[in-house]
Amino acid sequence: MEKFKLEILTPNGQIYDGDVVSVTLPGEEGEFGVLAHHASLTTLLTSGVIDIEKEDKKIESVLINWGVAQVDEEKVVVLVEGAVAIRGESESEISKALEEAKAMLDDIADSGVAIASASAKLETAAKNLL
Amino acid sequence: MANLKDIQRKIKSVSSTQKTTRAMKLVSTAKLRRAEDLAKRSRLYAQKMNEVLAEIAGRIECNKVGGLEKNRFFKRIENPKMIDIIFVTADKGLCGGFNIQTIKAAKQLISEFQEKKVKIRLRGVGKKGIEFFKYNEIEMYDEVVGLSSKPEKAKSDEFIASSVEDFANGKTDAIYVVYNGYKNMITQELHVNRILPIDSDAFDCENASKRSMLEIEAQDEEHMLNSLVDNYVKYNMYYTLIDSVAAEHSARMQAMDTATNNAKEMVKSLNVQFNKARQAAITTELIEIISGVESMK
Repeated sequence: MEKFKLEILTPNGQIYDGDVVSVTLPGEEGEFGVLAHHASLTTLLTSGVIDIEKEDKKIESVLINWGVAQVDEEKVVVLVEGAVAIRGESESEISKALEEAKAMLDDIADSGVAIASASAKLETAAKNLL
Repeated sequence: MANLKDIQRKIKSVSSTQKTTRAMKLVSTAKLRRAEDLAKRSRLYAQKMNEVLAEIAGRIECNKVGGLEKNRFFKRIENPKMIDIIFVTADKGLCGGFNIQTIKAAKQLISEFQEKKVKIRLRGVGKKGIEFFKYNEIEMYDEVVGLSSKPEKAKSDEFIASSVEDFANGKTDAIYVVYNGYKNMITQELHVNRILPIDSDAFDCENASKRSMLEIEAQDEEHMLNSLVDNYVKYNMYYTLIDSVAAEHSARMQAMDTATNNAKEMVKSLNVQFNKARQAAITTELIEIISGVESMK
């Protein structure tokens, strides 16, 4: 499958920069997926989980609280205010990331539904990694 | 020839100053590392944020998309009547030309706009700049002390929010920010940015029309843009502050380094002077004794 460039930036630095096959973003109007050669698009993101499908079919998840996604034909730039990536080499690292993510979820004073779905997604993302 | 005691006293005072400046340099170096790290990490985000907004502004300007060109945040205003100028200086001095550079740039901007008969509201961050303008009897519309030495997101949001509100309501026509930013360990870079309305000058219409149309996916475009702009402005203000802190520490570190070196040189030359004076005193004493002995013969 064709790949494209994805950048995820937070005020504390870049948390993702690389080639991906597809990415699913939590748009303000609902979740949407992006593949290579997507038409230009700018939209707001709400609290939720970004699923990144990498070239090796591995899926990485990043929890965000607010953001902007700028999509064009060659690349996707996502600017987020706060983010926690669910990744790690060992079980302890993953569970630590999961805890951080949950702490951030508690901070987001948003609608209950979004949080519930995000937290369910986090659990599955973590399980898939193990 | 100066008195021996006087020279000794001077040497003592210069070396104690040197101790102070060296300590200040060390403190600044430690603080700089933290501030620099923060500024560097945020820089990319700030740049991308500006790029995204500039692209939206440019596309609105080029394509005149459905009524959005009337949005105040993106509209270019040819003849502004009232503008906000925000300057950021340090709360403390002893950092070389850091503060005065910002003040000079702010003054120049003010006179430029005054020539065009534009009314100016001055908003100041940082004690040094505020003191300067107050001393020169230039009125401040709003002022904050303590924010530039310790940037806090919540406080900076609050500070900029009132300015943005006035802009949104049409009370002001532009917001400018003047500050001295961090470039590298030894240089600072002066920035004069117009944060609102958003700059679309750099945007290339020709090039953009070759690519697909920009779709802003939201039922309520106005709402989306406003929330985006709000975040952009707040983050810009915050980034300005952290960039300024990093620059302040680098400027102070340098100034204190120079001061320490100067003190060292001064102690050296004073020591030479002291030795000369001592030798002169000894020589005079010897001559006195010898001539005394001679006269007794």
